[in-house]
Amino acid sequence: MNSSTEKTEAYPTCEFKENLAILRQIYLFSRMPLESLKIFAYLCTKEVFQTGDILFHQDDDDGQAFYLMAGTAQLIRNTPEGEQVLREYSTESFIGGMSLMGKLPRLYSLKAATDITCLVMTREKFAKALAQFPDMMPRVIESIVEQVQAWEEQFLHHFGKSESPCLKRTGVSLV
Amino acid sequence: MKKKKRKHIPVNERTLLSWIRDSNIKLQVFLFIIIVITVFARVLPLEMQKKIINEAIFLRKIDLLMTYCAIYLASVLTASGLKYLINVLQSLIGQRVLAKMRMDLYHHILTLPLSFFRKTQPGMVVAALVSEIAVAGDFIGMAIAVPIINVLTLLAFGGYLFWLNPILALVSLSIYPMVLILIPILQKKVNATNKKRVDATRHLSDNIAESISGIHEIHGNGTYQTENRKYDNLVNRLTRIRIIWNFYRYGVKVTNNLFNNLSPFLIFLIGGYLAINGRLELGALVAFLSAQEKLYDPWKELLEFYQLYQDAIVRYKRTMEYFDAVPEYVLTPLDRKPYELDGKIEVKNLSFYTESGIQLLENINFSLNHGEQIAIVGFSGSGKSTLAQCIAQLYSYSDGHIYIGDKEVSELTKQDIIYNMGLLSQAPFIFSGTIEENLLYACVPLIGGDSDGNGEKKRKGEKEKEPDEETKRELPSLDDMIAALQQSGIFVDVLRFGLNMVLDREQHSDLVSRLIRVRKNFQDEYGDALEDFVEFFNENEYLYHSDIAGNIIFGTPTGDDDITKEEITRHSYFVDFLHEADLTRPLLSLGIELVRQTVDILGNLPPEAVFFEQSPIEPHELDDYKMLAERLRRKRLHQLSRHDREKLLEVALRFTPGQHKMVALSEVLETLILEGRALFRELISEEMPDAFTFYDPSRYIPSETILNNILFGRLKTRNPRAREKINKSIIQLLIEEDLLETILQIGMQYQVGSKGDNLSGGQRQKLAIARVFLKAPKILILDEATSALDNTSQSRIQNLIETWWRGRSTVISVAHRLDIIKNYDRVAVMKAGKIGEIGTYDELIEKKGLLYELVYGKN
Repeated sequence: MNSSTEKTEAYPTCEFKENLAILRQIYLFSRMPLESLKIFAYLCTKEVFQTGDILFHQDDDDGQAFYLMAGTAQLIRNTPEGEQVLREYSTESFIGGMSLMGKLPRLYSLKAATDITCLVMTREKFAKALAQFPDMMPRVIESIVEQVQAWEEQFLHHFGKSESPCLKRTGVSLV
Repeated sequence: MKKKKRKHIPVNERTLLSWIRDSNIKLQVFLFIIIVITVFARVLPLEMQKKIINEAIFLRKIDLLMTYCAIYLASVLTASGLKYLINVLQSLIGQRVLAKMRMDLYHHILTLPLSFFRKTQPGMVVAALVSEIAVAGDFIGMAIAVPIINVLTLLAFGGYLFWLNPILALVSLSIYPMVLILIPILQKKVNATNKKRVDATRHLSDNIAESISGIHEIHGNGTYQTENRKYDNLVNRLTRIRIIWNFYRYGVKVTNNLFNNLSPFLIFLIGGYLAINGRLELGALVAFLSAQEKLYDPWKELLEFYQLYQDAIVRYKRTMEYFDAVPEYVLTPLDRKPYELDGKIEVKNLSFYTESGIQLLENINFSLNHGEQIAIVGFSGSGKSTLAQCIAQLYSYSDGHIYIGDKEVSELTKQDIIYNMGLLSQAPFIFSGTIEENLLYACVPLIGGDSDGNGEKKRKGEKEKEPDEETKRELPSLDDMIAALQQSGIFVDVLRFGLNMVLDREQHSDLVSRLIRVRKNFQDEYGDALEDFVEFFNENEYLYHSDIAGNIIFGTPTGDDDITKEEITRHSYFVDFLHEADLTRPLLSLGIELVRQTVDILGNLPPEAVFFEQSPIEPHELDDYKMLAERLRRKRLHQLSRHDREKLLEVALRFTPGQHKMVALSEVLETLILEGRALFRELISEEMPDAFTFYDPSRYIPSETILNNILFGRLKTRNPRAREKINKSIIQLLIEEDLLETILQIGMQYQVGSKGDNLSGGQRQKLAIARVFLKAPKILILDEATSALDNTSQSRIQNLIETWWRGRSTVISVAHRLDIIKNYDRVAVMKAGKIGEIGTYDELIEKKGLLYELVYGKN
């Protein structure tokens, strides 16, 4: 008990270590070395939402990214014709990584379909932490490029052969 | 006001010596009288010297010796005392003039056109006002006293010398003409290098200011070498100049010294010869030698004064030349009240060129009647903001006309503009101070309060009595201020600032019982619904959002028995208690874990608030704890010094599981602490019952914020959504208790920090909007005024402009978002510095021209 070399096992797993394990699975952070990843894990906060709560509103620039630790969420778009539920995000989804990069008013709203526990990172914290590791920036950009590419590949894989008029407007990876 | 303008020379055109006039004349006269007495007191000892030798010693008269010595002593004491008084007076005069110089120059700089500041580094202005000008101020302090006292002393000593022996006097004074020829030649060289030095110093500070403000770019590009090279070159150049400068300066000193030392040589030679021949009394020779020696001091002082004068004049001129720009507009109208214009605006053939000749606006024409609203949209770089800024008199336009209520804008004074116009810029600036001060910022000039701070003018008895009684407006009332806070949407934020303050009990003792009522109502009405967000104080449960010390004490010290909240964790009673409750060791071990983890995560981060929000270690303590972590690697707990153990205990007692996530709280410790809480309460009520008040739903907790007092607990999350829910319920309760205004008033005392750093970007913009709404100008110019706001706030403010402000104020709104411009009376679409099309939104969309392209994209 009086030894300062005592191992940390005496303490139950803390949130910080849980966060660290989660961030390693997320594309945006997966290329970061542990040294910098620790800061991001430390800066994340755990939030709870009740069924029906809105995680973010369409048109708001809230600058947050979410990782669903438990629960599911619905992506909704409000149009003059009414509310349209577009898709559902399941547990372990990472949503809104792009909002961490810069100003980005939401095109959708995200609503808790069940009670949700999630990890939240904000743009301010992300930017401040990233500023500490300038050489991390190229890696983050690489991750995003890869992700956009993969997204469109998947999109083409699923819909490439259909007659959908959406195809006329594809090319996110070409922006 | 008119009289004051008898002959107003801009501060940058004043000569250095003209500032003497600004010093206090009474002080100067007083100084002069003292100087005359001092000179007399300086010469007297010489005469006494002669008399002591010639009369007292030679004639062996003790009583004469005593008398003369007494006079000698008295005059020496008087001279020193007076010398001190002279220095005091000098510094009084000098410092006051310096203050006046600093004020006038600053006042001048603030009025310079914006174009001036685009080329000017802030560091340069700082250096000019803070250091460069100080030499000039010091000089003015001496400008009268030093030459007079020294010239008089020289004359007096010189005269005395002649009286003693004309031939010797002539010989010893013969050196000075030579010095007078040589020194100015050297001094010219000093001045020339000094000018170079001032410039080189300025380059250097510009360079420092630039690289520091661009530090992220340097880090980002790793251009340390490039920047170092630039800087090193400048330093080297400055060093060379300073070395040469010093060479010349010391040259002046040495030349002067040399000649002064030659003088006694001549006296010994000739005086000695005369004394041996019996043509000079010994006493006279001694007196002569002393007098001659004493010539040196005033002479040296005169020379130093001369050098200081030269230095001061070089620095002064260089500084003033730098600010040699003229305000583009007259600040206040001379012979009339500021216009109360009507809100009609007419722009005719307006063009604007930058200083480098690039055309930004070309032949702009439109007009607005009072109360009409126009939106200016366009592609980026099309000149939207420039147009707004020309109308607001921030830029002076090159060709064409802008009329406001039939008056040409370029001919209006700043005050006319301020009286009639409100400007909301894209990146509004918030100054350090309270919310209230910032809110009133635009209103203060309207009531003439702007000249309040200018004590100098008042001291001179020149009462500034503008604006006259009829036009004099009053500061807005509390109701107006609250309305403006509501309109701009910062109301809830200000309320939250108020709720987050710790109540000053002396100022608001009446509030306590009412807040307790609010607490009870909150518990009854919202207690269950908000349980997710609030951790209520409960005697039998662990508080995860309070620190360990708070969990043990579960109350606050009353301040009696020397126990204060900050000091308690180090108080011997408390430390002994921890021992007794078997808490010391587990807490020390928790402290070790906390220090290790925190240092591991935060060890290399800069002390920015965002990194330390979730840390038990404060940024300023980080270095200490880093060293402690280093020691922990090598030592065991029992080997640590007492000081280290105290530090560990301190961190452990701050540990708040809900906030500090790097370590988890073990169940064992949690139980131990709850046991400790019960024991602590028992011991305290037996041993020092008056030292603590324990949390009790019917008592106010003076050390906690108003919010925590109402909650009787702590927030579990910083999440804005949770706060919103809580705020809603609390606002409801505050209204019932008629406390809303009071809390708002407290919130308006919130310090926004330097540049408004304690506010978010949105809050800063909302505060700026509230500021202009409160001023309620006839013409409102909005330059992308809502760009930092969330959607709801943006539409709410747009709504207000379309309803409340319609008809009241003429609105010119540069808009970045196209969905908010539909209801404007007119929309002007700009492209490449021209108005491409103008009309109502519907007309333009139908036309399928530029606006259509902006809204729907190119087809």
